[in-house]
Amino acid sequence: MSLSIAMLSPEISRIGGAAPTAAPAITPPASAGSVPQASFADTLASMATDAISTIKAGETTATAGMKGQASLQQVVQAVMMAEQTLQTVVAVRDKVVGAYQEISRMQI
Amino acid sequence: MSDPLIASTRSAASGLFAQSSRMRVVSENIANASTTGKTPGADPYQRKTISFQSVMDENAGADLVQVDKISHDETPFETQYMPGNAAADSNGMVKMPNVNMLVELADMREASRSYTANTQVIKQVRELVSMTIDLMRST
Repeated sequence: MSLSIAMLSPEISRIGGAAPTAAPAITPPASAGSVPQASFADTLASMATDAISTIKAGETTATAGMKGQASLQQVVQAVMMAEQTLQTVVAVRDKVVGAYQEISRMQI
Repeated sequence: MSDPLIASTRSAASGLFAQSSRMRVVSENIANASTTGKTPGADPYQRKTISFQSVMDENAGADLVQVDKISHDETPFETQYMPGNAAADSNGMVKMPNVNMLVELADMREASRSYTANTQVIKQVRELVSMTIDLMRST
C-alpha cells in the first residue's frame, strides 16, 4: 500500500502548487547514483509545507478580497486551490492512517 | 514545471479577469451613451476600447491574458440639434458621444460568452483534479 503512495506523492506535491524542488522520484534506477533520491518522509514533509502555504495563501487572498484589495477571480482561484490542497492532504492522511492501522493489526 | 491542470486554472482565471474588465468598459460606454460636454462646443464622452495581450507566466508555465491598454475610439462625433443643451454651440448643435448601442450590446454578449467559457474550463479542471484525488481514496 505504501508503494502506491510513494508513486503518487510527487504528483500530489505538484497539485499543491509546489516548486519543482520535490523529490525526483521517477528517476530511472540507472542514474540513481548521480541524483540523490529524497526519502518518502522528505517528500511528505515538503508536500505538507507546500499545502500549508497554499491554504494560508487562500486565506490571505480571501481576506484581501473582503477588503476590496483582490478581485473576485483571484479570491475564487486561491480558495479553490486551497480546497483542492486540503482534499489532497485529507486523502493522504487517510492513506497513512490506514497503513499505520494495518501495521498495528499485524500478527507477530 | 508546474501541474498542467493548475496552469489551465490560472489561465482561465486570467481570462475571467480580462473579460470582466471588458465588461466594465462596455458598461462605462453604455452608461455614458448620452453624456454631452459641459461648455458650448465641448467634446462629449469618447467611447473607450479595450485590447488584450498574452503574457507568459513563468510560475504557472502557461500563457495568461492581460489587459493591454484601454484607449479611446477616434470615430468623429455626430452632432444633433439641441439648442437647450449646455454644450450647444452658436448654431444650437451639440456633439453626441460616438457610442453605438448595437456595437456595445454585441461586445457585451461576446464578453459574457467568453466569461462563461472560462468558468466552464475552471469547472472541468476542478472535476478532473477531484477525480484524480479520489483515485487515492477508493483503493
